[in-house]
Amino acid sequence: MQTTAWEPEGVEALLDSKGTLADPAAVSGLDLRSYYKKLIAARVLDIKLGRLELPMWASAAGEEAVSVALGELLAAEDTVFVGNRDPAIGLIRGMPVAELLRQLLAQPSAQTRGRGLPGSIHSDSLRIFGASEGLGVNLGLAVGHAHGQALFGRGRATAVVFGEGLTTTGSFHESVALAQAHDAPLVFVCKSQIWPEGAPPEAGLLGDNVADRARAAGLWSRRCDGADALGVRRSIGAALHRAHTGAGPSLVEVVVTPLLRDPPAERDPVERLRRLLDSRGEWSQPFQDVTEAEIHGQIDKAIAEVSQ
Amino acid sequence: MSALQPLARLIAALLREDDRRCLLGEDVQSGGMLGLSRAALEHADLSPRLLGSPLTGVAHVAHAGGLALAGLRPIVLLSSATALLEALAAVRELGRWRWRSGQSESRGLPVLFVAPNGPGFGLGGEAAESVEATLAAVPGLELWCAGRTEELCAFLRSAATFEDDAGPRVLLLPRSVIVRDLNVDVDLDAALARAPIAVLREGEHATVFAWGEALTPALVAAQACAAASDEVSATVVDVGQLAPFDDAMEAVLVEHASKTGKIVIAHAGPRRGGLGAELAAMFADRCILRLDAPILRVCGERSTLVAGHEEPSASPSATAIAAAINQVVGY
Repeated sequence: MQTTAWEPEGVEALLDSKGTLADPAAVSGLDLRSYYKKLIAARVLDIKLGRLELPMWASAAGEEAVSVALGELLAAEDTVFVGNRDPAIGLIRGMPVAELLRQLLAQPSAQTRGRGLPGSIHSDSLRIFGASEGLGVNLGLAVGHAHGQALFGRGRATAVVFGEGLTTTGSFHESVALAQAHDAPLVFVCKSQIWPEGAPPEAGLLGDNVADRARAAGLWSRRCDGADALGVRRSIGAALHRAHTGAGPSLVEVVVTPLLRDPPAERDPVERLRRLLDSRGEWSQPFQDVTEAEIHGQIDKAIAEVSQ
Repeated sequence: MSALQPLARLIAALLREDDRRCLLGEDVQSGGMLGLSRAALEHADLSPRLLGSPLTGVAHVAHAGGLALAGLRPIVLLSSATALLEALAAVRELGRWRWRSGQSESRGLPVLFVAPNGPGFGLGGEAAESVEATLAAVPGLELWCAGRTEELCAFLRSAATFEDDAGPRVLLLPRSVIVRDLNVDVDLDAALARAPIAVLREGEHATVFAWGEALTPALVAAQACAAASDEVSATVVDVGQLAPFDDAMEAVLVEHASKTGKIVIAHAGPRRGGLGAELAAMFADRCILRLDAPILRVCGERSTLVAGHEEPSASPSATAIAAAINQVVGY
């Protein structure tokens, strides 16, 4: 297979576009089929939500690796500040689908009383904190939250998810400086959409590589490929480990490819992991069908529940 | 002696009393804004809670909010109230964070911002604007303003005490009030013995509403008027909380306006767009039939930008307030 212009540069691949697992030891102990099912769930959720005609809805198809890695790897006592394309984090972390829908539909019966921002979710008990109105304000809030946890000596991690668009703002650079100054147990997770010819030229003025910029600021950083769900899991896992062990802040840049842009099949994280499972004899069409039917059923039931 | 040393001792005491409190600011580990963290520096056990931060425009306010989310009660020492305008995106966020997450309206983020405000240091600039008018318009933000040097410590102690996770709260310290001599002993254990909005002087013929920088001139003016004539005695109300006004606070303000029916509102900064206009409109709405004279606003004389040497004209003098009292009484 030829490398295409869609392949991001400077990433550490674990599961490459040819379906080769560079370091099988890195996924030892991981139930790949179960992980794959979660990616499917995130994908189906995105498709179903896309049909609900939600206000200012932005699809996250192609970004599932980030949501599943965070949903899986964050400990119950950890906290995540989400943006407006991360409802799948709620799904994986255990938010009831009906509650998730109520919030996204801005229903008064939701825990958020219909006050949340479009596309954003919030749960105090699951420690998922919703998106901020002010540009990049969530980054500073997350720094403070992580710093506060550290002051109490709680050994917990905080993560904050945002898009590459925020990385030209003052808030981004200020938050990096504050996280460094206070050695906050924080993981910045940047979802970069830099598909070929996709980003406007002004978006890349500071360079396409956010991880490099963070590294220049002294931050531990990794760049990984959003189509490589296992690589994303490894990088976010390493960053969370740093936070849990008091090693300070980190930044993980995940280069995601929006499926809306019709990229080659190997840019789809779900498809790429499917190919790996298939090559190992762990995938079959009935398995796929059952997995999809389960999540479809779960979401359809919740839609019916909140439509009453 | 100014009130700065007692304020610094009070800040150390506040940190000692509640280990959820922490002090934020650019240089709190080397004395802090106006030396306000100096007393805390003398106690080694407090140093982990003196959180020196790099200078940032917006993120430091968000950072304080995040600390509150984790269970702390940050006190943020700002070099100027305009720092809150630079950080307005984060200030707005803190004001609505709990609300947006679906929690009860009364729950907030217990962060206290302490900020010098208005004329007094000979810096000009900010004296030309009404920072409090901008901040008062931010939903969910509590805005307090101390007005008398001898009450600065009590205001700080009360403002730093959050019930039911109220907040965020801003305490404005007018610069001219900070630098004025403090001629009395201050009890650092004493909270404000009254509500932030309260009558400081009773009178029969007019009511002066004043806050911050203008409060002492208002009291001086009322005293001078009373000394000059038995027929001109004025009530002076300290509007020490500028936002939000709940029903009870509005009722107090309206009651004192109605009692005399002759109203003077005094505050520093420009008249146009100032909070005096908001108060005047409220009195017109709520008690216009009880008013016997036009509502007079006495503000800074300048409507343009203010250089440092022009600061005295940026806030109302006792003479101007006295003239306004005489004018409404004689109307």
